[in-house]
Amino acid sequence: MSSDPIIELSNICKKYKIKRKSSNTLREDIEKLFSKYKKEGLTGDEFWALKDINIKVNKGESVGIYGPNGSGKTTIIKLISSVTIPTKGDISVNGTIAPLISVGAGFHPELTGKENIYTNGTILGMSIKYLKEKENDIIDFSGLRREFLDLPIKNYSSGMNARLGFSVAVHSNADIFLLDEILAVGDEAFKKKCFKKIDSLKKKNKTFLIVTHNLENLKKITDRIIYMEKGKILDKAPIPDN
Amino acid sequence: MLLITRLYPYRDLLYVFIWREFGVRYRNSVLGILWSIIQPLSMMLLITFIFTYVINVKVGDYPKPVFFYSALLPWTFFLSSITSSMSSLSGSQALITKIYFPREVLPISGICVAFLDLLIASSFYIILLIYYNISLNLTLLWIIPLFILLFIYTLSLSLLFSSLNVYYKDVGLLTSFLMRLLFFGTPIIYSIDSLSLKLKLLLFLNPLTFIIENTRRVILEGRNIVLWQFVLAMVLVLILFHFSYKLFIKIERNFADVI
Repeated sequence: MSSDPIIELSNICKKYKIKRKSSNTLREDIEKLFSKYKKEGLTGDEFWALKDINIKVNKGESVGIYGPNGSGKTTIIKLISSVTIPTKGDISVNGTIAPLISVGAGFHPELTGKENIYTNGTILGMSIKYLKEKENDIIDFSGLRREFLDLPIKNYSSGMNARLGFSVAVHSNADIFLLDEILAVGDEAFKKKCFKKIDSLKKKNKTFLIVTHNLENLKKITDRIIYMEKGKILDKAPIPDN
Repeated sequence: MLLITRLYPYRDLLYVFIWREFGVRYRNSVLGILWSIIQPLSMMLLITFIFTYVINVKVGDYPKPVFFYSALLPWTFFLSSITSSMSSLSGSQALITKIYFPREVLPISGICVAFLDLLIASSFYIILLIYYNISLNLTLLWIIPLFILLFIYTLSLSLLFSSLNVYYKDVGLLTSFLMRLLFFGTPIIYSIDSLSLKLKLLLFLNPLTFIIENTRRVILEGRNIVLWQFVLAMVLVLILFHFSYKLFIKIERNFADVI
């Protein structure tokens, strides 16, 4: 294992507004444009979703993030996949990312299962050529019957949808996998298959960052767990309420 | 160019998006890609009807159907590009808040689909030209740089409007209204030939005027475009593109937070 971290967050802060853009008038925005210095503190309707977060993840490591709703877990995933930018602090990521934040992103209901492998796959950063090579593996892994793959996915059950989406995602050849609450897909048998797949990817020195509410699952597949609460990292596991 | 360096790694995504939009639209329709022709064609028929039976006036020296269709081709492309890009970002909330890719892929794929429509609708243009016995010569090759100019201009406005629409919904309302005004502010149902120089210059502030007038010039009249005019128009449009793309990239980083 190399000592250079593959993901490093240093002193990350992220500010969000409670009220959305409707509170922003054009006049305020123009004023903001001309006031050069960003205010450090918070104005009335803002809050810190993340405050002074430092995380280092090494290559090949599998790290879980656990915390109650609103603790900032998803925001961390979004920052790493550059969906959003931090208010303060630095992020460095040295590798390609497969952001598995929602299963089946970009699935189009009118397209067939097979076609949606391509829409979803390219959104996750795979090339058409790569997907052509992997098409059979993806279909096999999903466990869907071949004749269903030529049907538009609007006719699929939500379970079938999730299976196909997850199957595309885990066939990515990215270095880093970000998983946000997507381990809850499919039935028990499929879940087992997913854990096995994650294990085999870990053996290939892939890095995992996994966010979930299910502590049991998390302990099974991660090397260490970061506990979070209210936008801060806790030193140790919180004591359960009950 | 910045656009290429940003989009090259995502070329497959762009390709799939275009294919998805184009493929899905006609999947369950009987007429299929004929729909690409129906829109400019029906507009042409309506306008020809009005200017033949309701108010019989002479508009240019050419048969009315060809005269109007020459302008409706670029106009239809422009209109459907702007309309589709308005909702391209705000309608893809689920994607934008979850996965990163250069956001311009969304409006651009919409424009590319409209461009495919333009090419299909152009095939009917050729039939019209043959039917009305318009003699064609090599000046028609000018249509290629003209369409490129049209594409870049449309792209600039799409980037500008679609990104601003994420922040201010007024932009969407404004554009739909603006488009209706622009239909009359562009020489689609008239020609600028008989206007005074002052009015001509005023209309040329709208790059579509340049594109439409010159489409007629190179196809119907068989004359070349004045080179310096084309270069000037291209330079101005490229400057517009540069600034709207800069703005787009600058505010793209916050899309996920405000959308």
